[in-house]
Amino acid sequence: MYNGGDHYDGNGGGAANANSLFSGGGFMPSQTTNTPEGSGGGITKTRGAQTLLPLTVKQIMDASQTNDDKSSFVVNGTEVSTVRLVGRMMNKAERITDVRFILDDGTGRIEVNRWANETSDNTEMGLVKDGDYVIVNGGLKAFQGKRHIVAYSVRLVTNYNDITHHFLYCIYVHLDLAKAKKSATQPQVTANASTWNQAPPPNNQVPTLSASGNAGGQELTDMVMNVFHDPVLVNLDHGVSIAQVASRLNISDAVARSTVAHLIDLGNLYPTIDDNHYKSTLNG
Amino acid sequence: MDTSAPSPFVNGETLKTFLGRRVRTVVQVQHNEGGVLLGLSTDGHQLTIRGASGAPEPPHYIEVIGIADSSLSIRAESCTDFGENFDGVAFNGLCKLANDKYNYLFL
Repeated sequence: MYNGGDHYDGNGGGAANANSLFSGGGFMPSQTTNTPEGSGGGITKTRGAQTLLPLTVKQIMDASQTNDDKSSFVVNGTEVSTVRLVGRMMNKAERITDVRFILDDGTGRIEVNRWANETSDNTEMGLVKDGDYVIVNGGLKAFQGKRHIVAYSVRLVTNYNDITHHFLYCIYVHLDLAKAKKSATQPQVTANASTWNQAPPPNNQVPTLSASGNAGGQELTDMVMNVFHDPVLVNLDHGVSIAQVASRLNISDAVARSTVAHLIDLGNLYPTIDDNHYKSTLNG
Repeated sequence: MDTSAPSPFVNGETLKTFLGRRVRTVVQVQHNEGGVLLGLSTDGHQLTIRGASGAPEPPHYIEVIGIADSSLSIRAESCTDFGENFDGVAFNGLCKLANDKYNYLFL
C-alpha cells in the first residue's frame, strides 16, 4: 500500500540533486541546539535550518519571521527554510525561465515558483498539470511581505496514500518539535534528540503501580526492574522467567506476573520465547 | 498566499459540522448513475455525491471536493480517482485528528 515511499522520500526521488540538497537523513529535525537568549529570541535552531520540514500552508501562514533576518521563518519555535508541501496544482503558467503555479493543500493556497535551470527541470514540470496532486520540496521565501515557495522539485503523486501520509507526518513532526522545545525548557531533561527512543532508565520510572498512591508499588516495580538488570541474569539467552523474579524477591508468582505485565505496558520489558520469559528493553 | 477558503478534511461524521462550506473527503464508490453517486465514507456513512460525472466504478475510492449540502450529501466541484488501494482507515484517522486535537494545523 505504501510502496510509493520511494516517490515520496527525498533521498530516493528521481531528482539526483535532491540527494545533495536533503542529505542529513530525512527531514526529522535532529541535533537541536539552543541559541542563547537574545541572539535568536529563544528560537531553537536546527542544524543549518536546512532540515526539510513537512508543513501545511496554514502552518506557513502562521509562521513568524525572525527579528534579525526577515528571510527566515519560525515554526514551532524552530527556524525553517526548506519545506515539503503536498497539494493540488492550480493556475500553472509556463514561461521560458520558470513555471509558476498555485498549490492548494486544502488548508490554504500558496504560490510556487520553479526555475528552469536544466532541461530536466522542464521535463519534470511537463509531467504535471492543473488539478494534479504534487509533492513540492522547496525553499520558503518572502518577498514584499508575500510568502511563496521556490521549488527544488515538483513531483506527481502516484500513490494517493502519500497525501494522507504527508498530513499525518505534519502532525508528527509538529509534536516532535513541540517536545524538543518542552525538553529544552526543562534543564533536568536532556535535549539530546537521540535519547528519545530509548526506554527510561530503571531508576527514573514514571509512576507505575503507585498510580493509586501506593508507594509500595513503585518500590516493587523498581525491585523487579533491578532483577532484570542483575548482571548475573542480564545475559541469559531467553531472558528472566517469572519464577526467577518471584524467587529472587520472595513474592508470589501472581504478583511478579502482574508487575511484569505493568512494566511491559510501560515499554520497559518485552516477552522473549514465551509468556514466562522477559527481557529489559535497556538490555536489548 | 491565502488561507481564507480552506477545504477541510471530513469523514461522514464531521461532514455535518461544515454545512454550506467547501470540504474534501474520500469515499468508496458504491453506485453511480446519472451523475449521482453513492459512496461509503471511510467511517461507514453512506454519502450522496451530486455532480460526480465521470467517476470510476466500484470499488474505487474517489476524493471529492465540494460544498457540504447536508449532513450526508456533497455537491462536487471536483473528483479525483484515488484507485482501489487507498487506505481508508488511515484517512479516517487523519480526519479525526485534523478536526479535533490538531485542527490548528489545518484550519
